[in-house]
Amino acid sequence: MFGKLDWSAIPFDQPIPLIAAAAIGVILAAVLGWITVKGHWPYLWNEWITSVDHKRIGVMYVMLGVVMLVRGFSDVMLMRTHQAAAFGASQGYLPPEHYNQIFSAHGTIMIFFGSMPFIIGLMNFVVPLQLGVRDVAFPTLNSVSFWLTASGALLTNVSLVIGEFARTGWLPYAPLSETSYSPGVGVDYYLWALQIAGVGTLMSGVNLVTTILKMRAPGMGYLRMPMFCWTALGSNMLIVAAFPILTATLAMLTLDRYLGFHFFTNEAGGNPMMFMNLIWAWGHPEVYILVLPAFGIFSEVFSTFSSKPLFGYRSMVLATLFIVVVSFTVWLHHFFTMGAGGDVNAFFGISTSVIAVGTGVKVFNWLFTMYGGRVRFDTPMLWALAFVLYFVVGGMTGVLLAVPPADFLLHNSMFLVAHFHNVIVGGVIFGAMAGYEYWFPKAFGFRLDEGWGKLAFWLTVVGTVVVFGAFYIVGLEGMTRRLQHIDNLAWYDWIMVALAGTLLIAGGVLAQIMQLVVSIRHRDRLRDETGDPWDGRSLEWITPSPPPVFNFPVLPDVHGEEAYWEIKQRAIEQQQLSEVPDYQPIEMPRNSPTGVITAFFCTFVGFALIWHIWWLAALGLVGAYVTFVVFAWRDEVEFEIPAEEVERIDRARRESRQVILERGAPA
Amino acid sequence: MSDHKRLDGDRNDSAPGDEGVNTHEPLSGVKGYAIGLALASLLTAAAFILPGTGLIWGPAIPAALVVLAIAQMGIHLVFFLHITTGSDNQNNVIALAFGVLIVALVVLGSVWIMNHLHHQLMTPADMMRMMR
Ligand code: HEM
Ligand SMILES: [Cu+2]
Repeated sequence: MFGKLDWSAIPFDQPIPLIAAAAIGVILAAVLGWITVKGHWPYLWNEWITSVDHKRIGVMYVMLGVVMLVRGFSDVMLMRTHQAAAFGASQGYLPPEHYNQIFSAHGTIMIFFGSMPFIIGLMNFVVPLQLGVRDVAFPTLNSVSFWLTASGALLTNVSLVIGEFARTGWLPYAPLSETSYSPGVGVDYYLWALQIAGVGTLMSGVNLVTTILKMRAPGMGYLRMPMFCWTALGSNMLIVAAFPILTATLAMLTLDRYLGFHFFTNEAGGNPMMFMNLIWAWGHPEVYILVLPAFGIFSEVFSTFSSKPLFGYRSMVLATLFIVVVSFTVWLHHFFTMGAGGDVNAFFGISTSVIAVGTGVKVFNWLFTMYGGRVRFDTPMLWALAFVLYFVVGGMTGVLLAVPPADFLLHNSMFLVAHFHNVIVGGVIFGAMAGYEYWFPKAFGFRLDEGWGKLAFWLTVVGTVVVFGAFYIVGLEGMTRRLQHIDNLAWYDWIMVALAGTLLIAGGVLAQIMQLVVSIRHRDRLRDETGDPWDGRSLEWITPSPPPVFNFPVLPDVHGEEAYWEIKQRAIEQQQLSEVPDYQPIEMPRNSPTGVITAFFCTFVGFALIWHIWWLAALGLVGAYVTFVVFAWRDEVEFEIPAEEVERIDRARRESRQVILERGAPA
Repeated sequence: MSDHKRLDGDRNDSAPGDEGVNTHEPLSGVKGYAIGLALASLLTAAAFILPGTGLIWGPAIPAALVVLAIAQMGIHLVFFLHITTGSDNQNNVIALAFGVLIVALVVLGSVWIMNHLHHQLMTPADMMRMMR
């Protein structure tokens, strides 16, 4: 009846996961109870859960990302404290099979359920606003994508209490991940969680590519799109090209595990090295999927806070497209040591170094953007500045690792760990934070508190330098990654330094949370009345904060590279706003519960497949399919917002703009 | 949204599957899909049946399967995804070119890498032979 599932799946003998799960359970129950008592369910259901508004979906993506980043950080605390206590005679407090699950869950959660949703959420929120349109190309599909990602995140976290998670690292290398070496359900949790979330990611990639290619405001040619839209286009093209490789590779591993195939086994003609090859053919593009949108965010931030157009816009576009293509020619640098020989290693070593050229071009453009500008040091700009310093170091250690003879020494050492955290934290996470601070006022109508923001910034940045600086050094001293117990006492001091740095970052996380709490309490004082709190240059700042459902009462007419800046300057010169447009009724897509219901069924499909509960899997599939059919046969697709309503909303916006205009200088 | 249709940037360009825009396409509508389906089924059936019949020289069978697979992709692109060479198809052709480039990079790269590994490394079977 319940396949492999029975009471032994619950780790009654392990206090840590049980207590953690109980705590999460209590918090969750409290939140749900509070919502119920306060009667917020109808609001949540109608305005958020079933919303197909790209802004709402973007915000939910970011919220998922933030929660999962904190969840992934709790793994960090466990790993750092354990390792600090596992030298020589002392054994630490995590047994090997548990420690292995923790570092696997950490990587998986941080990449797939922390960084990806955060970045996709920012793209969802910002791209249609910057393009001057009303939504993404396929609004309901967007909601399905989000909820499938959430379903994957849920399955990953369920493994904490029911069964176990993979012990194979964040990429389940074969043959370790085959049934002969990983007989438990851990790898199956990994596989199904990622497949479900992966479908969501792929669909959101298709959605955003279509949006950018097909739905721009009149006059918004490709070479007038803001840089963030370009990098979003690059990133989503990579998603569309690369995620099918991941899906296929994981599907082959699934066939090996479930139906006795031999794609990646040691026996019967299988080849585990093919797994390495395929997973990295997706894996390297994946790192650029994450970092390209971050490059876009920094481009926006540098130009806004330097009060100057982005330097070298066209070379930026070229560098982005260059990275898109070249990121598919370097994947072997992740397995130089596998033994393909000198020719192959030399080719991929050189191509890897070449990709740094694209990033180099961008770094110089950012520096020249600041040069001669009136630079303002608000929190988003601080993150951007730290990013440049940080990323240059990470890029250089990357180029060092790209030299095959050096990589033979450094591969899978703590030096490698330091490299990729250096670029992912310094690039993706700093970018996400800059974007969060920058667009928060647009999303919610009030600014974030600068004091707490700056404190969080300094704690996080200093902490990161300390942790990964220590990792670089112990890596050079020979320490390998993923050690559950450490014999060499020479590394002790650096591991303690890393622990201290981790505590600083923990302080940064707390300050970041405090910033949100304090800002919500003081939201009236922090209110963004104008819709343009940073003196912005692209179209999202023409809308009020938060923007109305339809974003733009009439689609803006774009005449140059910096659409909103030009409109604003014209208004300031002529001392009057543009003419009152002729308001028309606007049709917007109706909300739909399709996404959340599909994901509800898919969660059961995933859970059932993990535990071999075949009837439940079949039932779930039927449910998901029926949901889709019901949606396909709907007959009311849109609702209409009457012209008077549009006019009323826009009049308020124009009044606030008039105030800035009369105040004179740009606010 | 009807609004977007009217206002989007490239009016001359149609999404794959958009009907009505490509009216000058040789085979459109149900007839096109029916022919496509027939050809696709034929190629699929051929892939399963041919190797068993002895019509093709044994060692050439993999090559024949590759040819059938590529023909299959062509049928899909033309009849189902409506990738034609008309001037209104710019985005689709660029997307196709990008797709072909990436597939070529990944497939050729993998073949090259795996071949080199094969020459450099012993298989478990080789190892057993050496130890004997
Ligand atoms: C400047 C260009 C870069 C170069 C030259 C470079 C080079 C390398 C090399 C050679 C390795 C393999 C080292 C080894 O396994 O021994 C590596 C690993 C890695 N890099 Fe980079 N990298 C660059 C940028 C990035 C960026 C931008 C990201 C992410 C945003 C990134 C993320 C990673 C990750 C996640 C790994 C290792 C993952 C693992 O083994 O688990 N790298 N990099
Ligand atoms: Cu890489």
